[in-house]
Amino acid sequence: MNAQTPMIELRKLGKSFGSQTVLRSVDLTAKRGETLVIIGASGGGKSVILKHCIGLMRPDAGEVVVDGTTISSHDFMDVQTIRRRMGMLFQGAALFDSMNAGENIKFAVREHNPEMTEDELDAMAVEKLNQVHLPAEARLKMPSELSGGMKKRVALARAIAMNPEILLYDEPTTGLDPITADVINDLILDMQRELGVTSLVVTHDMVSAYKVANRIAMLHEGRIIFSGTPDEIRATDNPHVRQFINGQRELK
Amino acid sequence: MRVLIAPLEELGEISALFWGLVRRFPLAFKNPDLLIQQMMRMGVSSLPLVLVISVFIGAVTAIQAHYQFRSLVPDIYLGTAVCKFVIVESGPVLTALVLAGRVGSAIAAEVGSMKEKEELDAMAVLDLDPLRYLALPRVLGGLLAFPLLVVVSDCVAMLGGWAISRWNFHLTSAGYIHGTRFLFDPYDLWVGLIKSFCFGLVICFMGYYHGMRAGAGARGVGQATMRSVVSSCVLILVLDFFIVYTAY
Repeated sequence: MNAQTPMIELRKLGKSFGSQTVLRSVDLTAKRGETLVIIGASGGGKSVILKHCIGLMRPDAGEVVVDGTTISSHDFMDVQTIRRRMGMLFQGAALFDSMNAGENIKFAVREHNPEMTEDELDAMAVEKLNQVHLPAEARLKMPSELSGGMKKRVALARAIAMNPEILLYDEPTTGLDPITADVINDLILDMQRELGVTSLVVTHDMVSAYKVANRIAMLHEGRIIFSGTPDEIRATDNPHVRQFINGQRELK
Repeated sequence: MRVLIAPLEELGEISALFWGLVRRFPLAFKNPDLLIQQMMRMGVSSLPLVLVISVFIGAVTAIQAHYQFRSLVPDIYLGTAVCKFVIVESGPVLTALVLAGRVGSAIAAEVGSMKEKEELDAMAVLDLDPLRYLALPRVLGGLLAFPLLVVVSDCVAMLGGWAISRWNFHLTSAGYIHGTRFLFDPYDLWVGLIKSFCFGLVICFMGYYHGMRAGAGARGVGQATMRSVVSSCVLILVLDFFIVYTAY
């Protein structure tokens, strides 16, 4: 695919759970190498968008296109190949509790690269930990021994272990203190700068959104009602966007 | 209509899951560490509990046999009764019922909690097949560990029966052993082992199945755990009937 092809494209995406319609008609495009932040109210369907992008959910309507390949159709069977090009940081980190941090990073790499030796895997785990500014010793810690911020960093190290081209972040700063949240924001910027990844970040933390985004899209009642740069969103007069970014209880 | 369709849907899901596991069986030996870890967890760590319940299974069987015999059958046949009943029936069934509570519930709670914390999604994102890396080691671990546990349980229950016969009913050790060997048929042992094999499969499979279907939150995990124990116990007793009916 050429460099102009969007990395991720959502076309009229629709999704319902029972009688509840979460996504009505979402149109969204993430360009190659950019960081696109999706903002919106809690429970509004932001995480559902991410799960569609990585093939964890299939849409009721519309299409998900990743690097020119439509992954949402029922006859698309090669979701594994697409997933190996992606990494995802989950809201609660989702580290495997029964494994230490190093094993969490090495597990998938070992299974997909049986030719790698344990020494090589160890070196890879240390390198990935260093990329998220954690010392090598952190690989020996169990998830229960890690703080919230460290868990997210180990989970990010795990997400980049397979050298993905696309990184999805689900509420990366939720539940963290402002200083640790800023460390995570810097890491998101590092990943874009050093690895050249395309990033999709779902958040309702506007400080984080302004810092990491090339573009910000707002999801409201199942539709994208705004898409623009951080400066454009600050200047918009869309009442729903203004209500959200200013944290107002009522529309003004 | 929904009442009729829901059980069929569930049966379909169980069949698909079971077939998925069968297809992946050869892959289990590619990750022997995961299999050994589960066998240790289910087998070795359940051993103290199995030892304790088995002593009492044997002892109660001996007391019941003595009561049923009254003065019609000599006490020398106490060993026969204990051996027959423990090997074919009480050893595999009671051990399985206790392990359904210990192992099955632990699997359901663990998998349900992994689902709740998005660890199953994380596995899918990392292109790690949960059936291969999560279900297979647990189900195969149960299949291999349970017959071994039941053999231990049978031996300890025989000792429990011997202790009661020796000290309560004043039967000599030689008399008890003679009774045990009298009418002993290796076929009974095979039936007991086949039962334990099937029960191990049922317990671990139902634990995984209900864990995967767990609803959200602590309540969802709690319900999944309860369903795994109840369905395992019912299936153990139903399977027990069909195995005994077929075997004898």
